[in-house]
Amino acid sequence: MKRSRSTALVLVLPWLLTLVVFWLFPLVVSFLMGFTDFRLLIKDYHWVGLANYRALFSDSDFLKALKNTFIFVLGTIPVTTVFSLGMALLVNHRFKGRGIFRAAYFLPSITSMVVIALIFTNLYQRGGYVALLSRLVGLQSPENGFLYDSSTALFSIMAMDVWMSVGYYMLIFLAGLKSIPDELYEAARIHGAGAIRQLFSITLPLLKPVMLFILVINSIKSFQVFVEIFVMTKGKFDTSTAVYFIYETGLTTGFKSGYASAAAYILFIIIALFSAMWFLLLRRRQALW
Amino acid sequence: MKRTIFFIATAVLLVGLNVSEATTIRWWQFWTDPSVKPEISEMVAEFEKANPDIKVELTDLTWANGHEKIAIAFASGTGPDVVELGSDWIAEFAANSHLADVSDHISHDSSHFQGWGMATYQGKVYAKPWILGTRVLFANRDLLTQAGYDSNWVPIKISELKVAAFKINNLGKDIYGWGSNTPEKHRLYKKYLPFFWSAGAQIFTDDNKYCILPSEKAIRALELYKELHDSCGYVANQRGIEDAFLDGKVGFIISGDWLLKRVELERRSINLVSTLIPGLDFPGKSFLGGEFLTVNEASAHKRAALKLVDFITSPENQLRFCKANRSANPSSIAIQDDSYFTSNVHLQTFIKQIRSAKHPPVDPDWVYMEDAIERAVEDALFGSGLVAEPLLQARQKIVELKQSK
Repeated sequence: MKRSRSTALVLVLPWLLTLVVFWLFPLVVSFLMGFTDFRLLIKDYHWVGLANYRALFSDSDFLKALKNTFIFVLGTIPVTTVFSLGMALLVNHRFKGRGIFRAAYFLPSITSMVVIALIFTNLYQRGGYVALLSRLVGLQSPENGFLYDSSTALFSIMAMDVWMSVGYYMLIFLAGLKSIPDELYEAARIHGAGAIRQLFSITLPLLKPVMLFILVINSIKSFQVFVEIFVMTKGKFDTSTAVYFIYETGLTTGFKSGYASAAAYILFIIIALFSAMWFLLLRRRQALW
Repeated sequence: MKRTIFFIATAVLLVGLNVSEATTIRWWQFWTDPSVKPEISEMVAEFEKANPDIKVELTDLTWANGHEKIAIAFASGTGPDVVELGSDWIAEFAANSHLADVSDHISHDSSHFQGWGMATYQGKVYAKPWILGTRVLFANRDLLTQAGYDSNWVPIKISELKVAAFKINNLGKDIYGWGSNTPEKHRLYKKYLPFFWSAGAQIFTDDNKYCILPSEKAIRALELYKELHDSCGYVANQRGIEDAFLDGKVGFIISGDWLLKRVELERRSINLVSTLIPGLDFPGKSFLGGEFLTVNEASAHKRAALKLVDFITSPENQLRFCKANRSANPSSIAIQDDSYFTSNVHLQTFIKQIRSAKHPPVDPDWVYMEDAIERAVEDALFGSGLVAEPLLQARQKIVELKQSK
């Protein structure tokens, strides 16, 4: 018993060391740093208590970044979830070429975000395909392109994000659908339940754990949106998000690491609260379903 | 006994080897372009050959994240011995004691090079100018001719530039008078500042005590820039406006010597005109910046590092570099008379422009000020309010920053 414990410890040790050195240590240090005026290039720093947190709540740039982040999260999560669930239900049926559809929908998820962002930057530009499509359906597109206009830039990035994420979540939903026993549907059909009734009485309630997983994962991912912003707009045209603000503050303009750490912890708390909210909400929903 | 002699001999040999071991210095630089990097590597090889006791470890940085990497390396005490810095960063690193004061070392060079103003912080020189950079006004001669201008006409005053840009803009649906930048960090404000300086505006009073950013002249300059942007601007990022200009769709753009390189390498057939930035008084003032070589204050091999700096920035090697990169602005004054520069009318424009070019304040907080000015220009161009408002907000930010110090 003793030997097996020590063997287990030895086996776990590399992971444990990585966890402590690259995860726990930076986590603790950055938390403490949030209470200092630490700047990367300056050797002296001082304990400032909650000053960074107070300053952040009156920093118009941070508040704007938070607002944009919420718009991104609240705008993408419902659309992504509904689309991916819909697509999962569709490709769950047997039809010719189902495999091709599944692969095609999943393809964006395994493509580099940078590559996708660059492709969409071109699609969204002045005279690009999106502008052309808009014109074809009688919509007016921004004169300088979708990413160079504050009224369209963030929504354009959100649309790209939905397009990119749907395939991945579809696959997770599909796995959830496969785990639902066919007997339940058979029984429901015998009792005269139609497709809608089956969806709300069997599929959705049994997909609840999967739904919860997707909502939590997608929330965390959406709150941390960065690469798209970095590649496509550099936070311009009202597209700066919380993580982009943290990056800019901590690693570019002035290297204000203490201030950026405090912003990171505010974001951490928001993400934790949001995730908790999904747990509570879905627990209550169970009764309705 | 034999064994003892053998051990002693081996020890002596090893000590001897250790003594003759070369000093290794690390140099971080930004030139990764396939036409330039081989030249840099060759220069390093030549340096090593001339200095067998010094080895150079060359590391490439990118403009996308080089600044961060340098800052992190300095902060963690692992900075390179020699590092190439953009002019805007020198004060930031010097103020935090990361750069070696090279005032004494460069004293004999001071009259042979230009760009010292950007390398000097609080009376001390922290860098040696290498390759400088400015921007000039480029025009499409064919579009000017179509707009009714003589074959040798160029705008001398900003008002003339405006009229010509408007005339070109009226030539057709897909023709634009002016290439106008979208907000791109470190780029947009560099397009406004030539208008700002040429109009006689200043960021600070002469004694550097008061920020006078939203002066009447500055507001007028921004209004003029916005007029060009709104009425005849092809709005895109720098690459985009250059593409459109080289495709013959844009009449005027402000750009650097890299545009000449593109014209040459991409074999563009554009009828190119380069001229000095127009101003209230001709020539107008352009933006001055550049690449500098600095030595890490914490370097254990400062002498070797300075040797490398001197070698790379020597007039001969600057000329080699300029030829490889098609650069127009060496810091060495002597080589500006070389036929490479005198035989090319566009390079001559750059050589002339740099004489009236102006660099931003050498201030460790310039990054914040730059950010504030850039946002002001962005808000003025892409917002709907009066242009004075963003300038006032930028001033407020700069004043608050100064007061917090």
